[in-house]
Amino acid sequence: MANIAVQRIKREFKEVVRSEEVAKCAIKVELVNDNYTELKGEISGPPDTPYEGGNFVLEIKVPETYPFNPPKVKFMTKIWHPNISSVTGAICLDILKDQWAAAMTLRTVLLSLQALLSAAEPDDPQDAVVARQFKENPDIFWLTAKHWSHAYAGAPKSYPEFDAKIKRLVDIGVDEHRARVALSSYNWDLEKATESIFS
Amino acid sequence: MKVVIKSWTSVASWRWIANDDNCGICRMPFDGCCTDCKMPGDDCPLVWGQCSHCFHIHCIMKWLNSQQVHQLCPMCRQEWKFKE
Repeated sequence: MANIAVQRIKREFKEVVRSEEVAKCAIKVELVNDNYTELKGEISGPPDTPYEGGNFVLEIKVPETYPFNPPKVKFMTKIWHPNISSVTGAICLDILKDQWAAAMTLRTVLLSLQALLSAAEPDDPQDAVVARQFKENPDIFWLTAKHWSHAYAGAPKSYPEFDAKIKRLVDIGVDEHRARVALSSYNWDLEKATESIFS
Repeated sequence: MKVVIKSWTSVASWRWIANDDNCGICRMPFDGCCTDCKMPGDDCPLVWGQCSHCFHIHCIMKWLNSQQVHQLCPMCRQEWKFKE
């Protein structure tokens, strides 16, 4: 990898490790391989959001042309958020695309992602199903996002009614994640979700 | 051959007067040089934008060349213009 990319990631790595956010357990980075091309990030769900109490793991790939091009980042932890694909973890955030600037760092990227969890942009969605729910049924969106945070990111348990509905589908042989996706997508309408799975 | 420096006397020193310690692009100290250079100083000078942000010339040129549409300062995203 180009000298500048490696040098910079090495310095940034130290910068994140020393930062006060790490001390507060809000963000974290780890090396995945020895040549600094791949890293594992972690952000904690911000307070007063349905992600609170959860830990979200990110895959960070550093391109050869870094810092002149942004790092490639996606969520490895499944999450229910209008700007993050519930299927692939792909993120829709301008600074990871055309609004990138060379002065941004791993630390600012992780903090921006944390800010994205606090302030979704439903009009520029990555996941249209989630975005529609966010706009049309904000209460159900909140509970669903909280439920996913518990199921995949270790946040506290929330709404037992959802677990009961998932269990109904699991009991008839549906995979748990598939049941969760179908129910989440149909605003927890068990009938519609079941229909979507078996149609 | 191995050389051990026992003592040295400096006759002059210099440093850049910049509003920051490190280049925001390569993150190396301004008193050092960019990652492609070996010697700090005239071989790896600093340049200032009209927005007052400052970078190693090699770093800002790489950034500007990588921008297809607008050429913006990597710090403040104002249009980049070299300070005369």
